[in-house]
Amino acid sequence: MFRYIVRRLILLPLVVLGVTFLLFFLTQRLSPEMRASLYVKDPRQMGALEEVIRQYGLRDNVFKQYGRWLGQVIKGDLGYSPSANMPVSRALKEYLPATVQLAFVTMILVVFFGVWFGVFSAVHKDKWQDSLARVISVGGFSLPIFVLGLLLLMIFYGKLGWFAPGGYSFQTDMIIHGPNFHTYTGFLLIDAILNGNWRVFGDVLSHLVLPAVTLCIGSFALMVRVMRSSMLEELNKEYVRTARAKGLSERQVVYKHAGKNAIIPVITLASIQFIRLLGGTVIVETIFDYPGIGRFGVLAAQQLDIAGILGFSLMVAVLFVLGNLLSDILYTAVDPRIRLD
Amino acid sequence: MAQTPVLQVKDLHVDFTADKKVYPVLRGLSYSLEPGRVLAVVGESGSGKTVHALSILNLLPPAAKVSSGEILYNGQNLLTLSPRQLQTVRGQKIAMIFQDPSASLNPVLTIGEQLTETLIAHKRMTKVQACGEAAALLTRVGISDAQKRLNEYPFQFSGGMCQRVMIAMALALSPDILIADEPTTALDVTIQAQIIRLIKQLQQQTHMAVIFITHNLALASQVADEVLVLYGGLCMEHAPAAELFAHAQHPYTQGLLASLASLHERPEHLPAIAGQPPAAGEDFTGCPFAPRCVHATEKCRQTLPPLTQTGEHRVRCFWESAK
Repeated sequence: MFRYIVRRLILLPLVVLGVTFLLFFLTQRLSPEMRASLYVKDPRQMGALEEVIRQYGLRDNVFKQYGRWLGQVIKGDLGYSPSANMPVSRALKEYLPATVQLAFVTMILVVFFGVWFGVFSAVHKDKWQDSLARVISVGGFSLPIFVLGLLLLMIFYGKLGWFAPGGYSFQTDMIIHGPNFHTYTGFLLIDAILNGNWRVFGDVLSHLVLPAVTLCIGSFALMVRVMRSSMLEELNKEYVRTARAKGLSERQVVYKHAGKNAIIPVITLASIQFIRLLGGTVIVETIFDYPGIGRFGVLAAQQLDIAGILGFSLMVAVLFVLGNLLSDILYTAVDPRIRLD
Repeated sequence: MAQTPVLQVKDLHVDFTADKKVYPVLRGLSYSLEPGRVLAVVGESGSGKTVHALSILNLLPPAAKVSSGEILYNGQNLLTLSPRQLQTVRGQKIAMIFQDPSASLNPVLTIGEQLTETLIAHKRMTKVQACGEAAALLTRVGISDAQKRLNEYPFQFSGGMCQRVMIAMALALSPDILIADEPTTALDVTIQAQIIRLIKQLQQQTHMAVIFITHNLALASQVADEVLVLYGGLCMEHAPAAELFAHAQHPYTQGLLASLASLHERPEHLPAIAGQPPAAGEDFTGCPFAPRCVHATEKCRQTLPPLTQTGEHRVRCFWESAK
């Protein structure tokens, strides 16, 4: 197990190198002038453009430039992001927790309702309950996320005024940047609890509702399907008959015996979805103006903010590797037959 | 023999439904089982022997249904019990072990967990008590180092060991009846003998009744007090074991006995019964064995022979010398 983890961690830099070099190489397709233009605020200073190009060696060969970027990264400097108007590392630190928070709340919803619906559907196979659960999940699956997001925003913000877009309200902004609020983790929900400030907690949570629900609907459908088919397969196995023959209640048979086996594929799916959410909540964050890493990535890409794009991809690559490692470890926790070595 | 039977099966019919067609698998099976007796139910694949066993504990797959008949446990009809009442019978009064022991244990729960949950569910033991009891049970079925093995998973056990665990699980609540559905089919021959010996020995210690389901007449001869031969969902012959092996009356039973291999003689050809048994649920009029029977007459092909009883010997055949 330990050796497996070490081996996977050794692979981490290789993945990061591959991803970032590929992106770096692509950005080189843009002319040095285009890449430099973002750093020149005043369009009248055409001379400044040449100055920037020379200063940062933007005409150098790809490998040399990449090597220079890498050297800085190793020193902990990811460069300055003009689109976010702050150093990339600070932007990541500021936006990542919000996205992790969103992805986490979404996954709790997805797993809870997905597993519950899936089991419900499997236990009532081919009855009306099953059909209903399947219609709901297929319906959710077929709804484009941006349509759903906009609809929810129009109804629950525009019409009812229950949930506002953004990450938190203006009052919360004042509080968390005020002198009496300590930042412990960067995760606002956790920090709010640690500060004992329930108003901030409630406010942040209420801003999470709409984006989380929107993200949840699509993933939820897949989760229901996987859980349902996995459960049906397990319910037909012989150990289930043994459990019944022992005189266990149907509840124990379904949840403890079949459920514990059926949940295994769901865990893989959930961890893949969680990782994907970390880098891919772009649309939802944009719709709800949610101050997360996805919105940062989009802005960086739109403005050709190369330092931002590279920093964003580097982080996504690291998260992917770590996330997969985590899901492998989780696997061994639920299935004793699996050993990592 | 004047004991009241612990289990009575009365005219049991079980049907399978597939594509809206109904296939009868069991066509009126009746017998009674006295406490402490070992009944071997012998039959080929499709004869309905496993289906009969599953219907006792209401474990039939969804496609199968008991269409008529009664299964009385101490006078109480098991087929009309509520799910809750059924739970108290399952495991506690009637326990069951299955054909494939490795698949019959839950792969992701420890052996200890699977043993203790029965005890906790029925006897309301605490976890600690149940663990002690579980270790004792494992030792009793011949698994050494029981305390340590409680924390292991089924995949760390061999097939024979898994069957021992299944037996320990079945014995946990000292049931009145143990149903063993081909308990050694998935095991190799040396292990088979050990498991049979274990079941026999435990049966003698506890005086539970055993329904031993097998396709292997030789095995049946080792364990059974009485033997019931099933064919095409019907009881063909039912007699005390010694009587049946000495004076088999039905041509089918005779054929089965003739085809047993012996260690002492080495015949050129092992005698076999020509032809195929009817598939489960196949339609037939008359005696299901008639197409393969050397003594069959037109009458056998037209009408189903009744089960006639002489003393303790029941047989379903028109053939004169069968009487």
